[in-house]
Amino acid sequence: MLMPRRVKHRKQHHPKRGGAAKGGTKLAFGDFGIQAVEGHYVTNRQIESARIAMTRHIKRGGKVWINIYPDRPLTKKPAETRMGSGKGSPEWWVANVKPGRVMFELSGVPEDVAREAMRRAIHKLPMKCRFISREAGEF
Amino acid sequence: MADKTDDKIKAEARTEFGKGAARRIRRADKVPAVIYGHGNEPIHIALPGHDAMMALKHGGTNALLHVELDGKTYLALTKQVQSDPIKGFLEHIDFVEVKKGEKVTVEVGVHVEGEVKSDAMVVTELNTVSVEAEATNIPEWVTIDVEDAEAGFQVFARDLSLPAGSVVLTDDDALVVNVIHAPTAEELEAELEEAEAEAGIERDESDEEAAEAAAEESGDGDAAEGESSDED
Repeated sequence: MLMPRRVKHRKQHHPKRGGAAKGGTKLAFGDFGIQAVEGHYVTNRQIESARIAMTRHIKRGGKVWINIYPDRPLTKKPAETRMGSGKGSPEWWVANVKPGRVMFELSGVPEDVAREAMRRAIHKLPMKCRFISREAGEF
Repeated sequence: MADKTDDKIKAEARTEFGKGAARRIRRADKVPAVIYGHGNEPIHIALPGHDAMMALKHGGTNALLHVELDGKTYLALTKQVQSDPIKGFLEHIDFVEVKKGEKVTVEVGVHVEGEVKSDAMVVTELNTVSVEAEATNIPEWVTIDVEDAEAGFQVFARDLSLPAGSVVLTDDDALVVNVIHAPTAEELEAELEEAEAEAGIERDESDEEAAEAAAEESGDGDAAEGESSDED
């Protein structure tokens, strides 16, 4: 699963949730993509799960790109613990995805196959997303 | 290749600037734009929103428009378009003033056509190539045919064929399209199972995939359905 090999600080503040994506809002590699319509934290498990769902559907012949990386640690305190006594231990790795961000890209398959593969992948993601394609006309 | 010089659009001169003024223009269903080039002073204009959107949609990435402003017509080539990533509306357009017959350098999209052999897959390494062409004769696409291509087939920038008058400026040795071996079903399954095990994902085969498997068993399935419906 995707996660940093080494980090400068093991525990970080929560990443900011507001605003829109300021880059990575257009297709860069593939012909089809999944674009976030809302902002959300996306965990490495969700990314992997979406990738597997997509790859299982396209079977062979397609290439998948993942454009987001879960580089922010989130911590959690153990259950039934009193408040205080410092910050909890790292529990998840998340990517802080803002609206407009193209998270996955796909090429090498017909549009109907790509649409279905990405529909399945979108079900594994925590936010509202949409399917985009190069043919549909970006300026 | 299409001559895209027929799109005429009436513009208004902009007199006030800044984000407040730009937002007022956008609220009035117009698009702020600028025309520059040939060493002239930039001309700030506002275009009708719907007409601008349709002109870009029909003209493609390198749309060439006739912009009419105060009785004068400018031949303007789209240089950069800023649009809202979520809602898609146009925020601002940059145009370069060109003259008929003038050579311009633009990015032209690569279009792959045809089906490769079943054990291969196409990877487009460059989605656009830099092309020098006459402003009024910019190719819409660079088409690459990969019909029946096998793994190992490669198309470099030097192999691209363009209409007369257009020249590829991208480095000759730049790889544009690469046909590679597709992973076999066994390799793919092994890779996915390993990934699932690592992520601790339990695969649920009950619903969609079971339905697909049933659908694949074509003849028997239909017969069984027919019998059951008769019984009912």
